[in-house]
Amino acid sequence: MSGESIALIMSGLLLLGLFMGHPLAFVLGGTAVLGAVIAGKPMVLGIVINRIFGDVLDNYVLIAIPLFVLMARFLSDSGVTDRMFEALRHLMASVTGGLGLAVVFISILLAATTGIIGASITVMGMMALRPMLQYGYDRKLATGLIAASGCLGILIPPSIMLILMASYAPGLSVGQLFAGAMLPGVVLGVMYAVYVAFIAWLKPEWAPPVADEEQISRGAMWRMLIVEAVPPLILILGILGSLLAGVATATEASAIGAVLALLIVIMRGRFEWSTFYSALLETGRTSAMILFIVVGATAFTGVFNITGGLRASQDLIRGLADDPYTLVAVMLLVVFILGMFLDWTGIVLLSFPIFLPLVAEMGIDPLWFVVLMAVVLQTSFLSPPFGYALFYMRAISPPEVTTTDIIRGVIPFIALIIVMCVMIIVFPALVTWLPTALYGG
Amino acid sequence: MQVQQTAPLSRGRVSNLPIIRLIDGVNEVVGRIVSNVAIVFAGIIIYDVFMRYFLGEPTRWAFDLTKQLYGFYFIMLGGYALRHQAHVRVDLVTERLGHTARRWTEVAGYVIFFFPFAWVFARRSWDFAITSYNQGEVTYGAVQLPVYPLKMAMFVAAVLLLIQGVSEILKLVLDKADHLEPMEPLDVR
Amino acid sequence: DTWTMTTTWPSSLELIEIDRHWVELANDLVDDDKLTIEFYDGGSLVPAGEVFGAVESGTIQAGADWPGYWAGRDSAFSPLSTTASLFNAVDYVNWIQEWGGADLYNEVYGKFGMVYLPYGVTNNESGFRTVDKPIETIDDLKGLRLRLSGLEQGKLLEKLGGNQVSMAGGEIYQSLERGVIDGAEFSTPNVDFSGGFQQVTKYWSTPGWHQSSSVFGVMINKAAWDALDEETQSRLKTAADATMLWSLAFTEKRATEAFGKFKEAGTEITRLDDDTLAQIQTMANETIEEVACENPLSAKVYASQIGYLQDYAQWRDASAPFNLGRTPDGPDLAKIQECAQ
Ligand code: NA
Ligand code: NA
Repeated sequence: MSGESIALIMSGLLLLGLFMGHPLAFVLGGTAVLGAVIAGKPMVLGIVINRIFGDVLDNYVLIAIPLFVLMARFLSDSGVTDRMFEALRHLMASVTGGLGLAVVFISILLAATTGIIGASITVMGMMALRPMLQYGYDRKLATGLIAASGCLGILIPPSIMLILMASYAPGLSVGQLFAGAMLPGVVLGVMYAVYVAFIAWLKPEWAPPVADEEQISRGAMWRMLIVEAVPPLILILGILGSLLAGVATATEASAIGAVLALLIVIMRGRFEWSTFYSALLETGRTSAMILFIVVGATAFTGVFNITGGLRASQDLIRGLADDPYTLVAVMLLVVFILGMFLDWTGIVLLSFPIFLPLVAEMGIDPLWFVVLMAVVLQTSFLSPPFGYALFYMRAISPPEVTTTDIIRGVIPFIALIIVMCVMIIVFPALVTWLPTALYGG
Repeated sequence: MQVQQTAPLSRGRVSNLPIIRLIDGVNEVVGRIVSNVAIVFAGIIIYDVFMRYFLGEPTRWAFDLTKQLYGFYFIMLGGYALRHQAHVRVDLVTERLGHTARRWTEVAGYVIFFFPFAWVFARRSWDFAITSYNQGEVTYGAVQLPVYPLKMAMFVAAVLLLIQGVSEILKLVLDKADHLEPMEPLDVR
Repeated sequence: DTWTMTTTWPSSLELIEIDRHWVELANDLVDDDKLTIEFYDGGSLVPAGEVFGAVESGTIQAGADWPGYWAGRDSAFSPLSTTASLFNAVDYVNWIQEWGGADLYNEVYGKFGMVYLPYGVTNNESGFRTVDKPIETIDDLKGLRLRLSGLEQGKLLEKLGGNQVSMAGGEIYQSLERGVIDGAEFSTPNVDFSGGFQQVTKYWSTPGWHQSSSVFGVMINKAAWDALDEETQSRLKTAADATMLWSLAFTEKRATEAFGKFKEAGTEITRLDDDTLAQIQTMANETIEEVACENPLSAKVYASQIGYLQDYAQWRDASAPFNLGRTPDGPDLAKIQECAQ
């Protein structure tokens, strides 16, 4: 059987499984098994086990995933992140567009503590959405902003997505990717803030100032801000600092982060055994969920590769693009379209083995390319029909907010993400400057 | 699209088939115990960092051991995550189907995708583990940590996943699965 | 027939050229209707550490490797891949082709249902590269955390007062830069240069006493090998012999070029003095005796190697200075022979 046919059959099975609503991890794994059997090569299934063990279990880099999840759980389950937002809300709500700006800033902070989109969006949705709607914020602006800002977590380090990308990209370390994605992530957040400020100036009725119903004094407010926001901030700076300055590896930083987060919770007097234990259980389920997708994807890719599907896909892309810019454009478009149906985990795991060799062939800087992919993948949460962020938003929005409001709300932010991509293509230094400054050429 | 469900720990599933209770119970116990391993490897990493930076005496074993504990940790939790329906899925299409149609679509998903994979995973990791055991395989380098316990754990994990699939499909066939019902909106974290 | 073959090397490491060379020769020499070898870069089918298992189980028919990676399965793989301060590349060629070495590869790999064709040698590895302190004597090694691979190598380093840190090749650069380790050995100068070590280390201590030379080759599943006719088998062996000779010249040329590039990049290159090397030799001998005596098969390989050295010494020393390499003052043959029983 030709590589083209097997590529077609396996892609078809993958789509079928996804639309049947079966868990992605097992759709990938099952497609691997069926693909090998259909290709008449059931003996290649041995490599599935070799790959699961060697690529996923015996992988030092991936240890950081459960530990960063744990860190985020400690912070959010104990209410530390909620309080952080409250403090900032009191500070900024009383100016036009202020609440919107508070959402962006706190999202950037949250992004630097968590990589979990659901956690960020839900915290922001519960804390910010109701007051925003209550005081007359435009429904599209409010929901779009919260959804888009919440997604910054996968781009701004520490990020589980970047850890997984590093594990799949030979020659790129987690530290390099964190450094490379830092500036684009923050700039994108700032672009969201500028957009909110611009809308607030253009249409003040869409983002009115919000009277502070609790009437707390300026002194109390600053005290609250310092007490609530500073410890997590120190945590963030400590982790990123130690990682980027070269004191610790990503895996070490994740362990330190988890323990420091626990200490913050204890120091804030919010430690409870039940919360602690449920954070551990929750982390176990989330980690198993993410890493089993890696298990399924490594099975899929192994079979896809050995049966010739991978080479066929690469030849197809090569046929479409014969210069680096067209190649990158084609690949970004593929990722964008995949993003309408899959989330980043599946996209990274399926596309990296196909794309990265082509990128190397064309002499494109892999760090630049991977960060560009990371930025485009922001859209995978926002683009309809299958966007997690859309779904999270719908789940936490009051009934008067329609799904159409949410979808129309995220469109300007998708446009901003695309603008960001163009900026990275035009100014590659956005990605390469920080890693070069930190690690040299 | 399904959002990971938070632990409905208090809301246990009521089912009268002993086999379902047994399988769910086994994975629940395994999950509750193994989830704590994250703290163990976090602790070992911190100990190693401390020994290295403050005492200048890195441990010889921390690197290999944390890697093995991490592998053990997540692989053993696959069945537990399935028991809690925590594995990400896209159900925007199926949520529009009627209850019965959706139920049988899910059953078909298990038959077409889950069981072929879980069976190959279990069957082949048995060969993989037993080969390693027979060879007394150890890690490569001066610190010779045995490797076969982790490979054995992978086989056990595959079996736990497989039997959890049996439990889940039985629940679907007997119409006892509770994850088909719409979730509370705030059940999202 | 078609074989699927992969390697332990990613396409970014120059060592993969040796594998590609053999595959090309083999495909040229063997008629297409007899055998075609389809070669996949390292990591694309199975991760490096799983190549052995994939060939052993027959999932794929052939896998290129450096035998030392499998020392966790049998410590006898270690001397098949390299020696601490014993063989140079020519010694391996001599031993493999005329002093019974080839049979020992097949005996050790044969335990796991595989046939082995050694087809690559590289001579001395670079030695240690350190961040901020040169290594000129044994004292300089004391307390250093050094990335080093290998069982004998780790034990020897510990005897010399250093600490072995095991890490994958891809992690070395960052670890050096961040001070997670004080220094590292990786491979030959050309491979090291492509890894960018000149950017993060200031000093380079030669020679590479921990790994005086290395062997590379291909593991072939026994059933797949037996299915070939004798002529095809012999053509694959011819391709292996030709590749081995080419690999020696190719890697020495590349190492020489890279040595110059390291100097240009400002790396300070120091050489251990003869006294230090003599002391290291003594401890290397002790280590080899210890490790060999823990495994009769390992002892058998070492006994054959040391036997070769002693046998060849007569003529090698007589032909000095036009000889090939040196006769090391190696481990105690009688003692190791006893452990081989
Ligand atoms: Na993040
Ligand atoms: Na999407």
